[in-house]
Order: sequence, then C-alpha cells, then structure tokens
Amino acid sequence: MEKTLDKRTVDMRIISEWIERKSSVLDLGCGRGVFLEYLIKTKSVFGVGVDWDMEKVGSCIKRGVPAYQGDLAELMKTFPDKFFDRVVCSRTVQELNNPAKVLLEALRLADAVTVGFLNYGHWRNRLHHLLTGNHIITDADPYEWYEARPTHPISISEFESFCDRHNIKVTRRVYLGGDWETPCEHMYNLLCGYAIFEMTQ
Amino acid sequence: MNDAEENPLLTREGEVGLVQYYDFDYDHPFIFEDGQTIPRFRLRYETYGRLNRKRDNTILICHALSGDHHCAGVHTIRDRKPGWWNNMIGPGKPIDTNRFYVICSNCLGGCQGSTGPQSINPETGKPYNLDFPFVTIGDMVRAQKLLLDHLEIPELYAVVGGSMGGMQVLQWAIEYPSFVKRMIPLATTSRQGAQSIAFNEVGRQAIIQDPEWKGGNYEPEEGPRVGLTIARMMAHITYLSDKGMERKFGRRRRDSGEINFSFDVDFEVERYLRYQGQSFINRFDANTYLYFTRALDYFDLPATYGSLEEAFADVEVRALVVGFTSDWLFPPEQNREIVQALLRRRKHATYAEVPMDFGHDSFLVDAPNLYALMVAFLWDQ
Repeated sequence: MEKTLDKRTVDMRIISEWIERKSSVLDLGCGRGVFLEYLIKTKSVFGVGVDWDMEKVGSCIKRGVPAYQGDLAELMKTFPDKFFDRVVCSRTVQELNNPAKVLLEALRLADAVTVGFLNYGHWRNRLHHLLTGNHIITDADPYEWYEARPTHPISISEFESFCDRHNIKVTRRVYLGGDWETPCEHMYNLLCGYAIFEMTQ
Repeated sequence: MNDAEENPLLTREGEVGLVQYYDFDYDHPFIFEDGQTIPRFRLRYETYGRLNRKRDNTILICHALSGDHHCAGVHTIRDRKPGWWNNMIGPGKPIDTNRFYVICSNCLGGCQGSTGPQSINPETGKPYNLDFPFVTIGDMVRAQKLLLDHLEIPELYAVVGGSMGGMQVLQWAIEYPSFVKRMIPLATTSRQGAQSIAFNEVGRQAIIQDPEWKGGNYEPEEGPRVGLTIARMMAHITYLSDKGMERKFGRRRRDSGEINFSFDVDFEVERYLRYQGQSFINRFDANTYLYFTRALDYFDLPATYGSLEEAFADVEVRALVVGFTSDWLFPPEQNREIVQALLRRRKHATYAEVPMDFGHDSFLVDAPNLYALMVAFLWDQ
C-alpha cells in the first residue's frame, strides 16, 4: 500500500519542478487537491483544479484549493487563450472521453502543458497481457475491469505519434522505470513505467 | 414536566433554542436606487452565538423571497416550527453558533417587521403601499450594511444565502469587497433569466387582478388573499422538482383513494399546494411580494457592471458557489457561470454541485452532502 502511495506522489515532485513561482496553473482531474495545495504553499501559484467528484471537491475546499466540480472540457471552454501559464494533466489523460480535443484545448489555454501518464507499453504490462490475455492492472489503477473506469491504455510511442500528427512540440520528457523512481535511460517504450511530457504548440 | 422539557427544539443538544428579535432604527433618509427617498427605516433582525473579542467571526445570513430574519431557534417554548434554516444553524451545525456570531435581518421592503410597503409613511401618516420606492437587491444590501455598522461589526467572516439571498451575497462581495472575507451563494444566479421573470409576472398578475388588491391600497387585515394564494401555489411548484413531487405525492388521493369527479381536492399534491398558499397569506404581504419579485427581476449583474467579470473585478472574497442538480429555477448552469467569471478574474472560487431531488428548495432541506461542503469551507480556514 505504501508503495502505491509513493507512486501517487512521484510525478507530483517532478511536475512541480517545472512550475514557476506565482504562475497560474489549471489541474485537470485535480482529485483531492494535494498537488495544487503543495503548489500554492511552495510556489504561491494561482491554481484551479477541476474534478467530477463532489466528495473530492470537498477535500479541495478543506485544503483551501479552488476547485470546479464538473466537466473539464466544459470549464476549459470558458477561459480565453493563454489564460494559464500551465495546464497539468497528470494520470488523467487515459480516462478522457476525447483526449485529442482536451489536449489541444489545453494547448490553447497555456503555453506549456504537462502530461503525465502510465506507459502501457511497459514490458510487464505486455507480458501480463500476453500470458493471461486479461486487461492490464497496475499499481496506480488496481481495479478489476468491472470496477475500473473506462481507460485508453496508451504507450509512449503512441503518445509521440499523436504529438507529431498535431504539430505539438515536446519540450521536455522524463521517463521513469517500472518502479516510477529510477530514471529510464533507453528503450523507453519497453522499459518506462511512467512518462511525463511537457508540450507546447 | 413543563412545556420547555417537552419541546425537543429547546432540550435537544445542538439547538439554538429560545431566540428573540431586535429592531434597528435608522433615523436618517435612505435613498433607493430608483432615486426615491424614505426619511427613516427599520430592520428587524436576530442574532445567534457571540461576537468574539476580535470581532471577526460574524456570518451574515441573507434570506430568500419568502423568508425572514427568523432563521434558527424558536420564539416561545410552545413553538413547534423553528426558524427556516434551523437545520444549518446551531451549536455544532455547519453554521456553528459556538464559533460564529450569526446575524440575519428581514430585508428592506419586507413585511416581517422591517420597513416595507405596509409600514406607515411618516410624511402622510398612512401606509406607503405603492408609494414605497422600488427596492433592489443593492438597496437591501446597503440597508444591511447600515445595520452592521450600527452593531460595530468591522468585517464579515462570511455572507451566506440561497436564491434571492444568494443574489444579496454576490452584491455584498461586489459592493463591500474588503468587508467580506468569504461568500457562499447557493442555488442562485447573477442575472434573473426570462423564465424566472415570466413566473414572477404570473404571480404578480394573480395579485394585481384580484379585485381585493385595490390598486395596492387594501386594508392591513384584508387584501388580495386569492391572488396571493395562487401566486404562492404556482411559485411553490417552481421550488420543487418533477422527481421530488412524484416521490412525495405521486398520484396519492386525499382520503378514500377513490376519484371524486369533482374540482375539489382529489390529489394529495393539490391539498399540499392549497395548504402552502393558505399558510402564506397569513404571514406575507401581497405588496411586498410584488416588490420583492421585482427586485429579483431587476437583478442583472452583467448589465449593471458591463459584464460579470467587470462586476467581480474588485472582489476579494473566497467563494464557494453551490448549485443543485434538480434546481430548474436557478439551474446549475447559472451557478457555474458565477464561478467561471470569478476564475476568469483569477479569484479564489470553488463550484460544487449537490445531487438532490428537492429542486430549488434543496438548499433548505436536510442535506449531509451540503453540510460537508459548508463545514469544509467555513471551519478552520
């Protein structure tokens, strides 16, 4: 269990390093607002989170984090171009209804968009699927198919080709191994467990 | 065993208990937005809890169209019905009277003790009736500010209210940005829409077309009782929801369960609406109903300030805006717009949407989900 919790915060540390003091940040799928609370406290950002879940928005309120309960695509539409310095989309992209639309909208709203996602191309996921034929269960998404939310399993190479196709410039890439901690040096699509991309357009 | 011991509203733990009202008399002219002036006014109000030494724990409650200053506790040991937000206000309740000093006043233009159309015009010695100036949400708020100045309250920890109360909350944050630290507008709008104006107009016509209205000059104990009853019956439907009414009444019949082939009360829902209408005329003044619905209709922050963003330009408060899924009078979308505009102004604003079946009135009923949000926002911040 502790290992799972660690995995939940590891990308938070890296993503926050890329965020400038007093900048403005929109967090797509902000959950309980832990990340934004950290940013507000350590970097005095203007941060807003958006999440579907009323109970999670309640946790954001308790943390003093401004949050919007509802559909993130609906909320994004209401902001003018480049309103934020950065949009963060951490471990949300695989659950989006229309990922391309949301990511392009994020690029409209901010110069920099950070996307952190699980690499379903990791060898253990491949092996699991090859041996059992079953859907992939990970530490971050540990539910049986009938309890899990709808998910698009994406790999790093698929994400790269999405960026190519839409002329999105990837300005930073961080690859972490299967433990989500050790930097992954090569054969990313096979060895990386978690990837963080910074994109601009 | 005396009466007090029998009344759970007095003996149960976590109740405000016995309360009394106070009158604030402002003995100077007050100029309304419409340009008219009255020489003085009175606001009736109640307070619960205690003002702390730093004088920074006051929560102002703003009431809705048919509400009043009596929002918690009971007036006598025999009262069976407490104030209208007794579930929300009290020791240990979300608006916790152990922490907060709670104030609620009857709006200017009201009929529960504050100066309104029923009051005597000191210049003529007769009731104002339709000579009373048109009161706006802004007028209500400015009058409340005079009350708070009189009570020497230097700042508001929070201002809270639903529906017409929510409009006052928004107006407070706009008019007195540094005075208000937090706001919770519930089930409200920044701009009264066509549908709501339309319903108000039907209600007003029911009153005005009643011959007993007499151009607004009815005697205090008389008046357009039929018109006001119909107005209330119709308005009450807009406060509920299809699903909520179906669950509460369905097609249940009044007595035998047989159809009576009459135009008398056959269905339970009819009985309920008639009861609502009847009890309303005993406590509410028809002219105040006309004035307050007009105050709602004229409320339009985007038009008044150029845009909603402009309206919120100087706002300093933290905001929690709450919409209710089944509210079709001030639907979630209209509550969302408030938060979206605040965020576009880079204000600290949160939107939460509570799934409830009680329609517009959801904010008034027992709702643990709503309590949790209020507690998270109001306590320990």
